[in-house]
Amino acid sequence: MVMPTIRETLAAWSRQISERYESLSMRLRRLKDPAHVDLAGRIGLFIPATTAILIIVLILTFLWYESMPILTSDVGGPAIFLEPTWDPNRDLFGIGVFIAGSLVCTGIALGVALPVGIGAAIFLSEFCPSHLRDVLRMIIEMMAAVPSIVYGLWAYTVMVPWIRDSVYPAVSSNPLLAWVPFLQGPTNGYSALAGGLILAIMLLPTVVSVSDDALRSVPRSLREASLALGASESETALKVVLRAALPGVGAAIVLSLGRAVGETMAVLMVTGNSLTIPYSLFDPCYVMTSIITNQLGYAFVFPLWRSALFAVALVLMLMSICFTAIAKVLIWRGTRIGAVV
Amino acid sequence: MNRTDDEREREGTQAGRLWTVLSEGGTRLVALGGRARRLTRREVKDIVFKLLVALMVLIVVTPFFLLLARLLSVGLQDLVGSGPGQGWELIATLPGAALRGGVLNAIVGTTVLVLVATAVGVPLSVMGAVYINEYSRPGRVRTAIEFGADVLAGIPSIVFGAFGFTFLVAYLGLGLGALTGGLTLAFMMIPTVMRTTQEALKQVPSSLREASLALGATKWATTWRVTVRAALPGIVTGILLAVGRVMGETAPLIFTTGNNLGLPTGLVGPESWVASLPFTIWSYIMDPRPYLQVRAHSAALVLLMMVLIVDILANYASRRLTRRIV
Repeated sequence: MVMPTIRETLAAWSRQISERYESLSMRLRRLKDPAHVDLAGRIGLFIPATTAILIIVLILTFLWYESMPILTSDVGGPAIFLEPTWDPNRDLFGIGVFIAGSLVCTGIALGVALPVGIGAAIFLSEFCPSHLRDVLRMIIEMMAAVPSIVYGLWAYTVMVPWIRDSVYPAVSSNPLLAWVPFLQGPTNGYSALAGGLILAIMLLPTVVSVSDDALRSVPRSLREASLALGASESETALKVVLRAALPGVGAAIVLSLGRAVGETMAVLMVTGNSLTIPYSLFDPCYVMTSIITNQLGYAFVFPLWRSALFAVALVLMLMSICFTAIAKVLIWRGTRIGAVV
Repeated sequence: MNRTDDEREREGTQAGRLWTVLSEGGTRLVALGGRARRLTRREVKDIVFKLLVALMVLIVVTPFFLLLARLLSVGLQDLVGSGPGQGWELIATLPGAALRGGVLNAIVGTTVLVLVATAVGVPLSVMGAVYINEYSRPGRVRTAIEFGADVLAGIPSIVFGAFGFTFLVAYLGLGLGALTGGLTLAFMMIPTVMRTTQEALKQVPSSLREASLALGATKWATTWRVTVRAALPGIVTGILLAVGRVMGETAPLIFTTGNNLGLPTGLVGPESWVASLPFTIWSYIMDPRPYLQVRAHSAALVLLMMVLIVDILANYASRRLTRRIV
């Protein structure tokens, strides 16, 4: 009786495995019709390819299904999209106040981010020395990577006190500005202005890099032609390059619009979350993403309340689909115009 | 003589070139002050416009440094201190009693969530990108899939959170935890990885594919052994970018992960509840206790470092790997 040594056992195993593998591969080889493999690949890969669409359809279905109760009930109905009063305890589910809050914050953000961002993109693509541009682009890429909660933390601890202690006193003590209607009101710093500014800061990297790409893809010959006609460098940048890049810049605007409406954490932390429509920059407001974040946890057991929150999510979803579609069309037109030039 | 040598030397270095640019600008500014009458209005406008857009770049990048300064000035005392939960303990101990300890639970939680998301999202999106770039002809199907990916990229993160809550938690009954949170993040990863993979595949010259096919390889073998291998650096970059992006997401996790002051021990059920760095930062900053406010800053510093390291790795991967393969 000889016990097999470990080495022998291993050798036997490996022989068995390789035999089995060989027979398997032989069998496969007999089946080796390339068309078979190709067909299997085509079908096997088609399913993962549809995941994105599948997820979108699932999201839309669930949001629709979840928001149906409020849209068909007596206390709600489609009118909730315009009603300004949100009080689930009294069965008042007006989500107009959140839509207004989102619009105000987004408006402030775009009002700040677009001129500054497009100007910065013009500097980067037209006037900037190339080594400085590499550094700046790297910083801007890093800014785009900073998580929104970190921006929120900074806005919450730095920007809100700054607005309370510096901006508002400066504005209200300045006789030229103190009477302006949309600069009124006492403030504790948590305001539409704070939300709009932090949104603008978060949007700027996107606006700058997309516009910069669009500006740089304008053919050099256009610039040369303009300069040869005697236009100055800034006239060339504004009236020729920017105009030619307009569809790409438009895509940047729409994309950033979508991101601004959908941004959650940073805005939630600084807008003050008060259920009023803001009439002044210093008024607090409540945006669509914040109400979902703040109340979904409690509302889950109340069918109508939960359903109203999902109606807000549905609005957000439909808005973002629209923005993406518009941006796609703009980019497509941009490439077509670029091809013509 | 010496000065010209000096200048020539300066021309060679980057700093020298920067100096030349700056001094040129300075000279023009002086000219603007001294000989204002000689400049036409258009020239003045030109200079003013350039200064204005330069100022705008400054406005764009300033908040990043203000933010870094704030995080460092408050959070650094935790990173270098030696109290409970400070220094090494910040990333190596659990919060413990009164949350005085470190944020190990959050770091482990974020890692677990990202791993689950990567394991689910990356195969799906790479295979999807291979399908649209290698197997489908340009046409309606391809346009629809690309549009789907773009729409998915634009959906607000809180909508993913609400969807994960109602679909994964309530409808599929997966419950809160690492699996649900990871799946929600995987949905968010898909568009990024898919589009970057597709871009990378587009860059592969078709001569490579043709050579492989001409040698008798099947389409399948050509795709996976030649095309995907050549596109690997781009794919890795895309994966890293997506990982960096989902690492900092808070909103999708609020309703899907539960929260846990210890470490998760399973993949489903209550023992799989995980904390995550963004969620921890949020709950700490909303807490009135002063040491938690400080801890929020140091946790944000840790998160920022993780994200930026992944981002830099992504850049590095694309450059380094491309060079090695080509």
